[in-house]
Amino acid sequence: MIKRIPLAWLNLTHDRRRFATSLAGVGFAVLLMFMFNGFMNALYDSQLQLLNRFNGEIIIVNRLRTNMFVPRAFARRRLYQARAFDGVQDAYAMYISEVNWKNPETRKSRGVRVIAINPDEPVLNIPEIETYQQLLKLPETALMDTKSRVEVGPVEPGIISELADRRIRLVGTFTMGTDFASGNGNLLMSDQNFLRYFADRGPEEDKRSFATVDIGVVKLEPGTNVERMVNVLRENLPNDVLVMARDGDNGFVIRERNYWQENTNIGFVFSLLTSMGFFVGIILVYQILYTDVADHWAEYATLKAMGYKNGYLLGVVMQEAMIISVLGFIPGVLVSQLLYTAAGNATGLFFQMTPERIVNLLIATFIMCLVSGAIAVRKVQTTDPADVF
Amino acid sequence: MVKTQPQSTFDPPRDDLAVHIQHLNYFFGAGDLSKQVLFDISLDLPKGQIVILTGPSGSGKTTLLTLAGALRRLQDGSLRVLGKELVGLGDRALVNVRRNIGFIFQAHNLFESLTASQNVEMAVELTGNFSSKRDQAVAMLSALGLADRVDYKPQSLSGGQKQRVAIARALVNHPQLILADEPTAALDKKSGRDVVTYLHNLSRQEGCTVLMVTHDNRILDVADRIINLVDGRLESDSTPNAFVHSKTQEAIAEVSADMFIM
Repeated sequence: MIKRIPLAWLNLTHDRRRFATSLAGVGFAVLLMFMFNGFMNALYDSQLQLLNRFNGEIIIVNRLRTNMFVPRAFARRRLYQARAFDGVQDAYAMYISEVNWKNPETRKSRGVRVIAINPDEPVLNIPEIETYQQLLKLPETALMDTKSRVEVGPVEPGIISELADRRIRLVGTFTMGTDFASGNGNLLMSDQNFLRYFADRGPEEDKRSFATVDIGVVKLEPGTNVERMVNVLRENLPNDVLVMARDGDNGFVIRERNYWQENTNIGFVFSLLTSMGFFVGIILVYQILYTDVADHWAEYATLKAMGYKNGYLLGVVMQEAMIISVLGFIPGVLVSQLLYTAAGNATGLFFQMTPERIVNLLIATFIMCLVSGAIAVRKVQTTDPADVF
Repeated sequence: MVKTQPQSTFDPPRDDLAVHIQHLNYFFGAGDLSKQVLFDISLDLPKGQIVILTGPSGSGKTTLLTLAGALRRLQDGSLRVLGKELVGLGDRALVNVRRNIGFIFQAHNLFESLTASQNVEMAVELTGNFSSKRDQAVAMLSALGLADRVDYKPQSLSGGQKQRVAIARALVNHPQLILADEPTAALDKKSGRDVVTYLHNLSRQEGCTVLMVTHDNRILDVADRIINLVDGRLESDSTPNAFVHSKTQEAIAEVSADMFIM
């Protein structure tokens, strides 16, 4: 049985207080990376909260609608045309508009996004629509997103306020979250009510009708090849509309995400901050390892005199690096998880800690500690046992 | 004209010698800044001898010790340790030579994070005897009178005990050559005495050669031989009694009335 003395572990843990401080240091660096990375991903992911709830495999939009912000609608006829193809189960219309909502408490108006659908059609994967189906069919009713920003005021059934200077009654709530295009929150209503509010808002505003649709959601029959169907629709529908699969690399969801990645500084700013966290971590870990090597300089030199090769000592330092990276990562993740929840509640953004992101940052932490280790081992390498005498 | 190889003037290897030094020169630094610290040293240490190397500070005794310990590269002369020629060896080969040598330092250099036994086991692990390392370590510590301190960490051991652990670490692999640098300098009289006595007894039992640098006059009597090094040259090579005698003679001769005039 080969069992070496775990010198790296024993050296690290010998001084408990220092060990705890080391782990806290690494944990803090991990926390920094998680928070900055988390904000970046939250800003991107939040843009996709509505898109991910579309209940259909294919999305049809106006060709000019390059992102959800662009208020371009297309002819509803296209949806009826799409329904004619084999494999298409149904094609749903969705109407979107931006309008002012009056906070019932402060009486201040705030912009919100209104999403309108036919309550009898499963356009969105939002279970509350079915719950409040009958209430939504009543005139001047809507559901409010509970994750709307606090500026919209209290969000609960029974609230009566004004939307586009007309009376509106909240009959219930649903949970989605805000994004760049949603303003201060999301309001969900029936298409009939949408007409009541937006058909004629005055000479300066667009007149909305059922003739134009903002988003078309195409539901395919089970087992239909999405890619083939996208091609069929593209070839047969006039090219004033853009037909895209919802998911996949060329899908609608990815296109929206790419739009925000390419047209904002979010990625640059938060990647920079994340890498700063990374470098802070390198310096912290280097400091920890260097102190260990410097404190045990004579002992390491003695090991060399006894006949230990440089490789063994490098191994010890690298093991120490690995140990503190893994053990420091755990408190870092746990605290980050708490802060994600807190930040999500405060901003209405969608903070997500997926296994993939955890693994990515674990690898980053690993690299962080290995780099520090690689710098610190130079001290061991240059240790000359002849100097101990 | 064919120049004779310098090596040809050296004697052939001899089995009865642990250390065989011939015409050894050593320089610190290189080029214009090089400074010679050892001049034409020739020295034979037969196996089983305890030799004390003494001399004023700066005389090169520690340098000689590190050279014999394969801790420095050598270029000039001949230095055979346990039958192996060290002159011209690279770092990697020197490391392998070191594994047959026990080192004892002025400071104990024990890992604070390891117990006495684990510190000794670090040496055993070099030989690959993982299954018996604990037994070997405990046996060696017991031989040094530390049977009841095996699982103590250095911070709960006294100075003399720590130095004995360090000696156990140096001896546990039964090296044929032990190099000690002022092993008693940091110890009080009694602990120093104990340490030297253990070292003496063990070297007698194991039949290993000990080369010890020391300034400590109290322990000269354990030596078979005392070598005095002055300014990088061998000045004398005598038995302890003769050495002490010569030193006392000198001391008396040096006393003069001037000393008492303040």
